[in-house]
Amino acid sequence: MIKPAEVRWAVELENFGKCYAVGWTGGRQPVVQGLSLRLAPGQVLGVLGPNGSGKSTMLKALAGLIAPSAGHCRIMGHAAGSAEARARIGYLPESARFAPHQTGREFLRYCAGLSSMPADLIAPRVEAVLAWTGLGVAVDRKMATWSKGMLQRLGLAQAIVHEPAVVLLDEPASGLDPAGRLALAQLIRELAGQGRAVVFSSHLLVQAGETCDRLAILGQGRLLAEGTPAELLGQDPRSSPEPSPLEKLYLEKIHG
Amino acid sequence: MAESHRNPLMASLRRVRLIATQTLAEALHLRLALLLAVAGTMLVLMARWLRDFNFGATELKFLGDFGLGAIGLMGTLLAALATAHLFFSEVAGATIGCVLTRPVRRWEYIGGKLAGVMALLALFVAGLALVLALLIASRGTQLGASFVPLSVFLQACALVWLKLTLVAAMTLLVCSYAGSALFASCAGLLLAVVAHLRPFTAATGWLAWLRLWPNLGLFDAESLLAGGGLATAGLLGLIGYWAVFLLLLGGLASYVFNHREF
Repeated sequence: MIKPAEVRWAVELENFGKCYAVGWTGGRQPVVQGLSLRLAPGQVLGVLGPNGSGKSTMLKALAGLIAPSAGHCRIMGHAAGSAEARARIGYLPESARFAPHQTGREFLRYCAGLSSMPADLIAPRVEAVLAWTGLGVAVDRKMATWSKGMLQRLGLAQAIVHEPAVVLLDEPASGLDPAGRLALAQLIRELAGQGRAVVFSSHLLVQAGETCDRLAILGQGRLLAEGTPAELLGQDPRSSPEPSPLEKLYLEKIHG
Repeated sequence: MAESHRNPLMASLRRVRLIATQTLAEALHLRLALLLAVAGTMLVLMARWLRDFNFGATELKFLGDFGLGAIGLMGTLLAALATAHLFFSEVAGATIGCVLTRPVRRWEYIGGKLAGVMALLALFVAGLALVLALLIASRGTQLGASFVPLSVFLQACALVWLKLTLVAAMTLLVCSYAGSALFASCAGLLLAVVAHLRPFTAATGWLAWLRLWPNLGLFDAESLLAGGGLATAGLLGLIGYWAVFLLLLGGLASYVFNHREF
């Protein structure tokens, strides 16, 4: 459980902008402009938008993988990318391909070690995360044999194995079946319940609306709308990540 | 949860070791490494059948020279290709994001990758050197002739390994800014050729700047075998030369990589 934060905002984007050099002439193409967002600890922010709207760019900037061309990105009050900020985040990249020759347990131990966890805490923490993500018996099999859903769960597990205050997930529901998406939504709500701030990007509007405390809609690198689902829709679609009638039917059929 | 504040240096070294171990584990599963190891073994064994082309040298000397040359050639290919592959497999698979968003410094990542490839090259050289040593020993018994002392042979193998690690460091420097494994492999091999030709560059003229590049001609194992080994001072000097260039290339790669975005 995360203790009450000393800072008010877990995630802050202040007039964030990012440009990339294009061609040989040195021209610069803006991909995100003037993006300002804030998220408190224990909240879930869903970032929606079409391909190329700047969702991944925003998450990469918060993770410190790219530097802002304009504005500031902060994690728990620290500049994104700084050692202090990196010690407080967990990040799941989009479409990550983990080493197929490794088992899930080996990979999680590697990630926990890189996060400078004390050696004696690594094994119990890895077991706890494995149990929480429901990877169970598969964890000692080589990842070459794993399904997409299991790999996504492992991706989530590596992002939280070191108990970060902020979890950044880039398209975590990509490639998941309906059951996997529902399980993911529940895991995200549990993370928020532990006091962690969660930012994730998605194309799944309904799921995002049900899972998130706040939604941000990006388009062509700009923030088009931001607020709670109730503010954006005039009602609150989030009670709990319950399956829709069609999803209920699907789950009944596949689970007998 | 983090223990890095207790002893930052030990925490850094632990992360370098973890990345190196992970890199070595991945390298040992590379089909490329297996292919080059098999090809290298076959080349070393071929020396037995190519001994008629000995240019007047004794048979055992020819076996030693040819075998070490084969290890150097295959090792150079492995150093460049494996380094580029191991680096870009993490970039292409996006798992580099899982590593660099942790409290891992960029130099630790470069250091870990380099150490992992160095360990792979050590295993490669040791394995092929063992095959060569067995071949020379078996032929020496049949001929009733003796080869150079074992310590000199080991020195020669160590020189080959030192040379290969510099090729890996050159390739890693290219990887730190390159956009593809193919480019990095080709550029790494090209830089290795330049470093091998470095003894032939003139002190003056438009190619004089090449003398700043490491001179792989200094790590000539065949000359070492012919000369009966290096004196301690010469060996230490060579190791110092290697260490300086390894640190320079690794440091430069870390500096460039520090500014890279993913």
